[in-house]
Amino acid sequence: MSLQTDQAIKLSSGYRLQWEEAQQMFVLLYPEGLIELNQSSAEILQLCDGQHKLADIVQTLETKFSTTGLENDIVSFLTIALDNGWINQSA
Amino acid sequence: MAGSIKAPSPPRWLLAELTYACPLQCPYCSNPLDYANIKGELSTDDWKRVLKQSREMGAVQLGFSGGEPLVRKDLVELVNYSHELGYYTNLITSGYNMDEAKIIALKNAGLDHIQISLQASSKELNDFIAGTESFEQKKQVAKLIKKNDYPMVLCVVLHRQNIHQMKDMLDMAIELGADFVELANTQYYGWAQHNRDQLLPTHEQLKTAEAIANEYQETQKGKMKIYYVVPDYYEGRPKACMNGWGTTFLTISPDGLALPCHSARQLPNFDCPSVNEHSISDIWNESKAFNYFRGDGWMKEPCRSCPEKDKDFGGCHCQAFLLTGDATNTDPVCDLSPLHHTVTDAIEKAVQTNESALTFRNSKNSQLLKK
Repeated sequence: MSLQTDQAIKLSSGYRLQWEEAQQMFVLLYPEGLIELNQSSAEILQLCDGQHKLADIVQTLETKFSTTGLENDIVSFLTIALDNGWINQSA
Repeated sequence: MAGSIKAPSPPRWLLAELTYACPLQCPYCSNPLDYANIKGELSTDDWKRVLKQSREMGAVQLGFSGGEPLVRKDLVELVNYSHELGYYTNLITSGYNMDEAKIIALKNAGLDHIQISLQASSKELNDFIAGTESFEQKKQVAKLIKKNDYPMVLCVVLHRQNIHQMKDMLDMAIELGADFVELANTQYYGWAQHNRDQLLPTHEQLKTAEAIANEYQETQKGKMKIYYVVPDYYEGRPKACMNGWGTTFLTISPDGLALPCHSARQLPNFDCPSVNEHSISDIWNESKAFNYFRGDGWMKEPCRSCPEKDKDFGGCHCQAFLLTGDATNTDPVCDLSPLHHTVTDAIEKAVQTNESALTFRNSKNSQLLKK
């Protein structure tokens, strides 16, 4: 299973991304589990809504932060997320 | 004893043990042996206060447990309240007496996930260990959980009398559509400690079971996630119990004691604070019980000078108490502990025990065993 460029990315069923006021950070919640996210991971996962493909996510974040060259970092994070089952893809 | 100087990290995990009542009688239950003498369950309003205060402190993962949480008539109301507060809500259940109407009502109330237990992969053994005929119903409930689109964790507690069914249990988990499987070797507290000679598996059994778990972890990658919880009696180093005392986990017992881990009420002279008398904030930040094992000021040797002390925090204090009589000793699972022989002796005694009579967890036995 590897990251497909032609398929939209979404959070897996049962996973929830949520802002935590007490900790001032985003967390990823799933059955009996909790991952505390740094800012860049949270920015990427917020775009994993079943509407965006890899290129859309890269472009959106490069525009948002007025920068270029984010693709490698985004791909490596999404690959980890996919391997861990946090996200999945559909055509 | 010295606590830490830094402000403690906020609780992130709240385990709400709603009741000690349970229709099953599993002989490895982690509830206290004398549970039948513990009276005075918290009211619905008490639980709402606890849920709200804990959420404000930072708790976000919430487990409804017990006993059997389905016994509580206000379960749907408490799930709904917790959902509105923003918790990720987990129901940890035997599945016994659950029907589709309840599964749907809980879904509508915002329940995020259901963990259902099975005691074995065969009806005969499941019903024997559970002390209650429940196998067919549990399987039926598991199917209804998936039909209603919940993520499902299937939990099987492993011990000498069922560990040989590892392969069948994993095949059953696949058949039932589990998203996660928790294969949890028994941890020896409460009833499990009492029945240890009959439950502790041999090293050989464990090696075989672990190999099967590893094989399925590979073949099920991307489909079903398999967690294998190691039996710490056979490890050379202790577990990082509760991710560190008073750092992450908060358990509230049915009668309202706040516990840094669900076994802590058995520690003598420990005075776990009650939510009937204190706010969650006071309990978490100020109480003696929650500060007791924070940091490393409490440690003796060999923990104090150990390079691994920030990794396992000295292990499990309840286990240190149960096996050595002193909770401030190094967890004797550690082979650096001068009292490590308490663990190896226990293994030797257990594997030589042929007698299979288990003491089942029920009110009658609890009354008989009371201190």
